Amino acid sequence: MISNHITAPSHMQGGTRRAGVMTDVHRRFLQLLMTHGVLEEWDVRRLQKHCYRVHDRTAAVEELEDFINNINSVLESLYIEIKKGATEDDGRPVYALVNLATTSVSKMASDFAENELDLFRKALELIIDSETGFASSTNILNLVDQLKGKKMRKKEAEQVLQKFVQNKWLIEKEGEFTLHSRAILEMEQYIRETYPDAVKICNICHSLLIQGQSCETCGIRMHLPCVAKYFQSNSEPRCPHCNDYWPHEIPEVFDPEKEREASTSKANRKSLRSRQH
Amino acid sequence: MLQKPESGALPILRAEGEKDGGRDGETQALAASQEAASPLLQETPGEHLGARREEGPAEPALAPRGARTLAAKASARRRAYRRLDRTVAELVQFLLVKDKKKSPITRSEMVKYVIGDQKDLSPEIIARAAEHLRHVFGFELKQLGRKQHTYILINKLKPLEEEEEEEDLGGGGPRLGLLIMILGLIYMKGNSARETQVWEMLRRLGVRPSKYHFLFGYPKRLIMEDFVQQRYLSYRQVPHSNPPECEFSWGPRSNLEISKMKVLGFVAKLHKKEPQHWPVQYREALADEADRARAKARAEASMRARARARARARATETAGISPW
Repeated sequence: MISNHITAPSHMQGGTRRAGVMTDVHRRFLQLLMTHGVLEEWDVRRLQKHCYRVHDRTAAVEELEDFINNINSVLESLYIEIKKGATEDDGRPVYALVNLATTSVSKMASDFAENELDLFRKALELIIDSETGFASSTNILNLVDQLKGKKMRKKEAEQVLQKFVQNKWLIEKEGEFTLHSRAILEMEQYIRETYPDAVKICNICHSLLIQGQSCETCGIRMHLPCVAKYFQSNSEPRCPHCNDYWPHEIPEVFDPEKEREASTSKANRKSLRSRQH
Repeated sequence: MLQKPESGALPILRAEGEKDGGRDGETQALAASQEAASPLLQETPGEHLGARREEGPAEPALAPRGARTLAAKASARRRAYRRLDRTVAELVQFLLVKDKKKSPITRSEMVKYVIGDQKDLSPEIIARAAEHLRHVFGFELKQLGRKQHTYILINKLKPLEEEEEEEDLGGGGPRLGLLIMILGLIYMKGNSARETQVWEMLRRLGVRPSKYHFLFGYPKRLIMEDFVQQRYLSYRQVPHSNPPECEFSWGPRSNLEISKMKVLGFVAKLHKKEPQHWPVQYREALADEADRARAKARAEASMRARARARARARATETAGISPW
């Protein structure tokens, strides 16, 4: 299979930066990443290997970080990039293709009606304002009367919320909703610009914070995976800002190897428990 | 083997409205922040410095006012180019999104929603967007008919072979395992299983329909939507059932991608027995294997026949052209 080694014509390149080389391997990767919306790192690695297998069997698989940086240098002139983030609850690395500029085109980029988008906006606001990063289903549904566009009933709104969950914009846990890592990756800039006063920031990584732990004395906040990394093997965790004792349970640092082992034993343990009742 | 369905795109965070009119307060705020504050839409510091360096050498040769006018013109030109680049980028995103829904795009839509008052530059904007789509994503912007000004995106990447398609992601491992468990249950229950039976089996494994699972995400969505949409499972209401019940059976894709014998083998291993332990299912699986072997032989034979026909055609062609 002959790969297409063509660099971007010079008038396409933004500024003086030299864009990377795009081959069908990279194009297939982009197409599939777009299809999935957001992917966990191990999925991304499989995807990358798949693309090499399909389009360039003989080539050595480039290191993922370099591979992505290469593609991003080409995407720069399109104001999009492959962004890496982490799930807020357990720090799993995730990747998504995000817009760098929230332009008016976003409004076309949707499978949702006007009232559905407004519902999302309302849920987003409740989530950002909340202390825990979660908004209860009840509180969100109570706002259906205020939605723009066609009138929506609560029953319908429940289904729309499920649609958001299915499309990985929201996560539901026990009747409460928070942002999916995809939404955080895609909308961080928009959220910081639109809600500059209400938005919470992590003291460690300085990124948008929806879920996390906070210091009860001085109020600074940290993502759970940031807490895990910061206090790793520290028997007396103290607030990095006010030095007061850190009162919360320190989570474990995400380890992809341990995760895969645990998956089988976890399933066994769970089924044992349910049988005992 | 498993493919994720297309996820819905970004929920619209701005109110509906055309690009140049009908902006409400919210969109205006965002537009203002884009044009003024957002550092990402302005030149990056490096570029900016580079630009100033370009202007530098020209200045000393002119009178101060002349230099300022030149500089102003140059920066206005740069702003115009940047604006053009941004519009091209927006059009690329617009086309990608529209194509995702598989709806053709008209030139007037492009003007209405993206190009706006840069309408005069439409041909150039569309051409550049098309070039980006080809170079970066491997899509061709194809016009349907010469007069209609309607376009679709065609995937220029080579189509996947059957084996390649199987590996096209989806979190293969765990989700595949879940699917096979369900296919196994269906098979052992005589090629269809009630929905309640499926959820009962999964519950015993600690998998609940609407509870987020760290391996499968939301199992209900994975099974009822993904697997069904991808044709791994078929789902229907059991006729004349009261209260109405639904049942699962193997979908057409499962029949193509996996065999009854393989699934029986999996079930057998799970129970630490031999496949022959279930004589009915074993006989059925054997018959299925025989069918598959016959179908494969037929396909191969017809391929060989076609290849022979092509070779013969080529031979007669060249015979006509050859000089002797």
